[in-house]
Amino acid sequence: MVVADAQHHDVHQAPQHQGPSGLGWLMAPGYLRVLWTVPMMFGVGVGIMALIRWLEGWGPIWQGSIVTTLSLITIPLGFLGGIGAFDFWLRYAIGRPTEVDDHRSHGAKDWRGYFKVNTDHKVIGVQYVGTTVVFFLIGGLMAMIFRAELAQPGTQLVDTQTFNGLISVHAALMIFLFIVPVFAGLGNYVIPLMIGAPDMAFPKLNALSFWLLPMGGIMMTASFLVPGGAFATGWTSYPPLADHQPLGQVFFNMGVQWAGASSIMTALNFLVTIITMRAPGMTFWRMPLLVWANFTTSLLVVFATPFIAGAQFFVAFDRVMHTHFFDPAHGGYPIGYQHIFWFYSHPAVYIMILPGFGIISEILSVMSRKPIFGYRLMAMSLMGILVLGFSVWAHHMFVAGMAGWLRVPIMISTMLIAVPTGIKVFSWLATIWEGKIHFTTPMLFALGFLSMFLIGGLSGIYLGSVALDIHASDTYFIVAHIHYVLFGGSVFTIFAGIYYWFPKMTGRMYNERLGKLHFWLTFLAFNATFFPMHWIGLHGMPRRVADYAPEYGTWNLLISIASFALGASTLVFLYNMINSWIRGPKAGANPWNALTLEWLVSSPPPLFNFDEIPTVVGHPYEYGVKGARHAVLNGGAVHAPDEVAVH
Amino acid sequence: MWFAGATDPAGVCSPGRVTSLPVRNNKPFVHVAMIAIALGALAGIVAYFGDWLPAPASREAGRIWFIFWISTIVSIVIFAIVIAAILYSVVKFRKQPDDDTDGPPIHGHTRLEIIWTVIPTIIVLLLSVASAIVLHKDSNAGTNPLKVEVIAQQYAWAFKYPSGLQTGVLRVPLKRHVELHITALDVLHSFWVPDFAQKQDAVPGQTFRLVITPTRLGTYPVICTELCGLGHSVMRTAAVVMPAAEFDTWLADQDAKLAGPPGEAGKTVFANNGCAACHTLKAAGAKGAVGPSLDKLPAAAAAAGLPLADYIRESIVEPNKVIAKGYPANVMPATFGQLPKAQLDGLVVYLAASVKGGS
Repeated sequence: MVVADAQHHDVHQAPQHQGPSGLGWLMAPGYLRVLWTVPMMFGVGVGIMALIRWLEGWGPIWQGSIVTTLSLITIPLGFLGGIGAFDFWLRYAIGRPTEVDDHRSHGAKDWRGYFKVNTDHKVIGVQYVGTTVVFFLIGGLMAMIFRAELAQPGTQLVDTQTFNGLISVHAALMIFLFIVPVFAGLGNYVIPLMIGAPDMAFPKLNALSFWLLPMGGIMMTASFLVPGGAFATGWTSYPPLADHQPLGQVFFNMGVQWAGASSIMTALNFLVTIITMRAPGMTFWRMPLLVWANFTTSLLVVFATPFIAGAQFFVAFDRVMHTHFFDPAHGGYPIGYQHIFWFYSHPAVYIMILPGFGIISEILSVMSRKPIFGYRLMAMSLMGILVLGFSVWAHHMFVAGMAGWLRVPIMISTMLIAVPTGIKVFSWLATIWEGKIHFTTPMLFALGFLSMFLIGGLSGIYLGSVALDIHASDTYFIVAHIHYVLFGGSVFTIFAGIYYWFPKMTGRMYNERLGKLHFWLTFLAFNATFFPMHWIGLHGMPRRVADYAPEYGTWNLLISIASFALGASTLVFLYNMINSWIRGPKAGANPWNALTLEWLVSSPPPLFNFDEIPTVVGHPYEYGVKGARHAVLNGGAVHAPDEVAVH
Repeated sequence: MWFAGATDPAGVCSPGRVTSLPVRNNKPFVHVAMIAIALGALAGIVAYFGDWLPAPASREAGRIWFIFWISTIVSIVIFAIVIAAILYSVVKFRKQPDDDTDGPPIHGHTRLEIIWTVIPTIIVLLLSVASAIVLHKDSNAGTNPLKVEVIAQQYAWAFKYPSGLQTGVLRVPLKRHVELHITALDVLHSFWVPDFAQKQDAVPGQTFRLVITPTRLGTYPVICTELCGLGHSVMRTAAVVMPAAEFDTWLADQDAKLAGPPGEAGKTVFANNGCAACHTLKAAGAKGAVGPSLDKLPAAAAAAGLPLADYIRESIVEPNKVIAKGYPANVMPATFGQLPKAQLDGLVVYLAASVKGGS
């Protein structure tokens, strides 16, 4: 058993720094410095704009919409500079001697450490998960409001522009500020531990990636405060409508840039970390499937995300600089936007599910006490999804008016992507078959995921079929489908992952009974909310409508009631997490008796993860194999924290 | 073998991989099959008796429902098998309270893995072929379709027939191919009639065709399914399927009226384009209250300093130029500006005559 050696770590710890004196407080990285860096950067941006407009003779020199758009770039830059996300590189750039890295910004000594720029992947992982859960709650509250509005036909609670804003911000937050980044957070925490690395490859970049994220989230949420209200064009933000919407629209265009940049940086970091920092003996074919999944996802992120960044910049340029990329009145091509947008946003659905696949593979194997079935085919099916994932974007556009000949080839590639996904589902079934299933909360969520994602996958077969999609697209059937894959799919894997690694992250055990209550409430309310949507969608209810035909009133009332129950189930989760973190029973290093490397070290792990880097000698899922080991420690001491290896 | 690494009897890469499942008896699989049949029957009953789809009102919808049903059968079979396997495992392979051992170390099974790669591939390819055939048939408008232009704009639909007649309600003859030519004037919209099961986005600057062959008399909703702004959820009108002879008579009658004196023609234009839904006009018995009362046009024209006819024309073609007090801008669609000149002239004459001396 390896336990954190406190003495050992003090070597890494910085000597206590003398606090800066006098004006030095204003210069030291922190929230105090933010007080002047933000106004400064705002001023710089406005100044450059005014200078250009003055030189070009454009009037009026001060125009609120342009100042706002520009500030959505400059103010976050000022904030990031203020808290110290750029300090190291700025010193380097201006030729100042860079400070010897004394790991001052590594690790959190108390709760304050989580609100600072921190280079420890474990702190960053928790920062990510905490932040994204906050945006998950905000996005969920918005859903509660518009479900209340939809409980009856007609208009009761909010006006139409607000309604359209609520559905748009709900989707944007859930996608860009919850599902995509929460996986980056879990991966951040777990990947270096799983591959036997002391940290990520680029810790300073890692810190910056995290801090970019709240910039995008606050921006999207704050769009409700500007004149005209929040962006109200859906998360797809199609022009030409987006070209002519009130100011709130640019909060989406720019918010996506921050979240997207964060995503790309983290993906690069994952790739370099996974390629270069695996412990000795950890070949690609010995990596846990979670690492495989994040490797694949990162490739998707790096290739695809620049496309949505481009699409949103073009819309912003259309609005601010009258470039007419998508304005048909001036020769623009609106369908072009959709191609660029979906060239990211389809791979994005795999970005939002592949890390979940990884989590499920870990949990099903550990909780069934059996090796993962067909390990190599599981890894290769991830790669298959990666490749096919880039050839299916236009299935979102079967009725959009794209080139007619493209529809059948895209249908075929879309249908084929069901094959690697099917391989995964069948292999998971074979993994639990004849196992010794431990019904813990993560396992319940994993099995819930398996059944709900199956339904989402099957409705995907309906939508991939062009002839049928023509009827079903842009209806509530789509709303049902996306929630079965993103909620029943991704969110269930996220809950599973959070429960599974909660003891590792906090050193404490969550309450199992509350965890199970959370699962059953979520599972039942989820189905009651989203299953009827298939029905009313096929029958004639379009999506994204503030009002609907009275014949759908009863179903909508039922859906709304179920959705409130779904919202309430989250409170059980929150209570369990917060309460267990504060006063849960201590968890040992390896409460699940798992073989992967993160369970080799104490909970929470030591500052630099491993006191000695383990040598990997075998596969990560050798449950039930006599004498099999995943790793040994360099000192020659054989790790045997679990009975499994000793059998 | 294409996933060569997966078969590894020597155990170098994945020790313990077995080449055949240690199936001791067939009983578990028989049980799973029984649960699956029960689940499939249950799901089949829900699917069959549930009111899932509108009754088809077009030949295209009939074909699309066929695809729906074969997809549903395939889905129910897969759903039943997978859920049955999960349920069986949950009950049978639950860890016993005092059992802390591991399960059997099964690493894979090459033949099974090939089977569940190949069979789904065949299934989805067959579904694709079926769908492609239906798509091809649904796009065929025959040799003599009725061509109707569909013009979408925030938040109204306009339909233009070959004679130039423009209406706000789509009327189509029974059992004749109708080829819609769909476009938009401002932002994206999407034309959908659930009962016809056909849908096409309306894109400004481009025109796309969509084929409908009505097979059932009745009135069906026309729904915009692409978020187009504030009034998206109310951007609806109706599609009426008429017997062919009745449709021909209606069309001839409309054309005759439009060819008549401008005042008569204008009255027809007023009725066809749904003006009464939003405006009050005593002469026509219209009582709409969304927009300003047309009976107050003379006063408004005087206030704008324009002759009555010129003011009426401007208000139709450029509805945002002068906004009546107490009414928001951007509500009146500019689709009416797309009316053929003769119909627009007629409408102006009719309105001017109807409101003179009105207020």
